[in-house]
Amino acid sequence: MANHELSLAQPRPATGPDLAIVAGVQLGGAALLGAFLLGEKTAVVVALLAVMGAIFALLQLRPGLEERIVSAFRAQRRPALALGVGIVLAYPFFMQGSSYALHLLVIALLYSVLALALNFQLGSANIPNFATGASYGIGAYTSALLALNFGVSFWLTLPVAAVVATIFGFLLGFPSMRTRESYLALVTIAFGIVVHQLLNNFSWTGGPNGLVGIPAPTIFGHSFAQPIEVLGFRLPSQANFYYLSAALVALSILSAKRLHDSRVGLAWNALRADPLAARCQGIDVVWYKMLAFGVDAFLAAFAGTIYAFYVSYISPDNFTFLVSVTIMTMVIVGGMDNTLGVILGAFLLTLLPEKLRIFADYRLLFVGVIVILFLILRPQGLFPQRPRHYGGPQ
Amino acid sequence: MTRSALQVTNLSIRFGGLVAVADVDLTLNPSEVLCIIGPNGAGKSTLFNLISGIYRPSSGKVELDGRDITGWPAHRIAAAGIARTFQSSRLFNDLTLVDNVVIGMHTRTRSGVLDALLRPRKARAELTEAAERATELIRSISPHLYARRHMLAGALPQADRRRLEIARALASEPKVIMLDEPSSGMDDRDTDALMADVRRVMAERPGLSFLIIEHDMRLVAALPDRVAVIDYGRKIADGQFAEVRLMPRVQEAYLGQKAAQHA
Ligand SMILES: Nc1ncnc2c1ncn2[C@@H]1O[C@H](COP(=O)(O)OP(=O)(O)OP(=O)(O)O)[C@@H](O)[C@H]1O
Ligand SMILES: [Mg+2]
Repeated sequence: MANHELSLAQPRPATGPDLAIVAGVQLGGAALLGAFLLGEKTAVVVALLAVMGAIFALLQLRPGLEERIVSAFRAQRRPALALGVGIVLAYPFFMQGSSYALHLLVIALLYSVLALALNFQLGSANIPNFATGASYGIGAYTSALLALNFGVSFWLTLPVAAVVATIFGFLLGFPSMRTRESYLALVTIAFGIVVHQLLNNFSWTGGPNGLVGIPAPTIFGHSFAQPIEVLGFRLPSQANFYYLSAALVALSILSAKRLHDSRVGLAWNALRADPLAARCQGIDVVWYKMLAFGVDAFLAAFAGTIYAFYVSYISPDNFTFLVSVTIMTMVIVGGMDNTLGVILGAFLLTLLPEKLRIFADYRLLFVGVIVILFLILRPQGLFPQRPRHYGGPQ
Repeated sequence: MTRSALQVTNLSIRFGGLVAVADVDLTLNPSEVLCIIGPNGAGKSTLFNLISGIYRPSSGKVELDGRDITGWPAHRIAAAGIARTFQSSRLFNDLTLVDNVVIGMHTRTRSGVLDALLRPRKARAELTEAAERATELIRSISPHLYARRHMLAGALPQADRRRLEIARALASEPKVIMLDEPSSGMDDRDTDALMADVRRVMAERPGLSFLIIEHDMRLVAALPDRVAVIDYGRKIADGQFAEVRLMPRVQEAYLGQKAAQHA
């Protein structure tokens, strides 16, 4: 019976090897990232990159290896989750008090949220959107203006900014009713540029100077501008935002997973594969496109709010077209419609330019080269989409 | 008088100067199989596109179960109960067979974004249940497909692609199914299996009607209750195959083509 079969767990080998694989992958990944963050010499960074490249080459050559790791994680979901949470919580303590390393982590986490947001559109539904950076900016400006002009608390600005950005997102998705795919991409480019220009020209947004002096959030009397002191450890103030951003990434992953494994995720996938056939299955293509724009903007605005309160100073130049392109690159490099891949893409593209300062002047070139290389060598991204499975074995 | 499942009246569409479908009337009764035949380029697929809402008719009317659905968008027509397949099959190639059929149930499932995000248990239960029904449906269509249900649809051979498309169409529990040349790319054995499938599905689902575009005369002779002939966008005959095939106009439409081929 189908029932029976769907719920029947495959007989598994002993859990020992699975646990070892899970722990090895997670701790190894964390150690690699840590070495990368703390490594100061370019030579060390390049060596670490070579290690990473070798790992991916190995995965490419031995697809069985990836399958083995995935099945280990599937079999040991709870321990894997517990270990992952543990690593994330403990991570700042291993950063040797480096506020720079923590800063990089915060930015990488915020970009992970942005990339996950865009992944709903680009990855799930194949709708190109060059305006994620604009939604990010709308979120940042909305919450900053609320805090500066009306003294609204950070925690309250979060949902308000998200709602405002979502409304703009829906408006942006509106032309999808009329325009064809390629024109829709142009519409999003125009939207991003218009938002940037408006932020530059309005006086109430501070014009090109932006907004200054956004107050640090507080929670239970603890200001996010203060260092965290626990058990005799003293973490730099960036750690506050590290934990906040990590929580937001967790929320994004959860949302991504829930949407992916739902009727909505399937409808988006249908529209990606064949919009005409999707319509004939009863899928309201316009609605699902607008929905993707809305979800993208919602999450991007969260990231924007945290960013604004983190750096306490925002200007239009934080939210340019280039930011949107970078986010798109993260999704493409990481792997469309694969949560882990997208996060990895975000980390790589945030950290690499920072660590390899030689590229600083050639950022756009760097992004361009990465995209082209990936489209040629691994067009499906670092970790491509995996087929759904409905609670049962494959 | 019984109400027809699908009633097409005076349906026309023009593309610039070309009238691809001209004043076509068509009646499809509940539990009936109607085959549509006609030479290449006659306008058969265009007629399907009009009925399923991909094109808006220039004039005329389409009624489903007595309800006027003319000019409705395709997704609403699908929800109203018309499912279809395509002449060159259009599966969701990068998804599994089960996913393809579950998507076919889109109009029979409810969960939206908020359900998925805030009531994941309910949304998930609905989807799991849909996946079970999809699996069952695939199994009933063919054990061969069932064995491959977790493969990507893009990897299927032609005959299986057609079968899966039919399974996906059935998943929406439609009142009318339209198949556009289902036997193309099939050998005689596959075609026999296809006819058996259609008969079995009809027996299991009282009231379900089929509208089938076909070129394979073996199928046209054996399967349908009635045959309608389209030529240059117009319906030129409608009736039993045995009678229709003897009509001079029909012979002309086909023989004209054959004669041209012989020449
Ligand atoms: N979107 C369109 N724009 C312009 N002309 C079209 C369009 N769709 C179909 N046609 C024309 O309408 C006519 C009928 O085409 P249709 O595909 O309906 O034929 P058919 O009967 O299905 O033929 P076949 O047996 O080859 O599938 C053809 O001349 C075709 O070129
Ligand atoms: Mg045709």
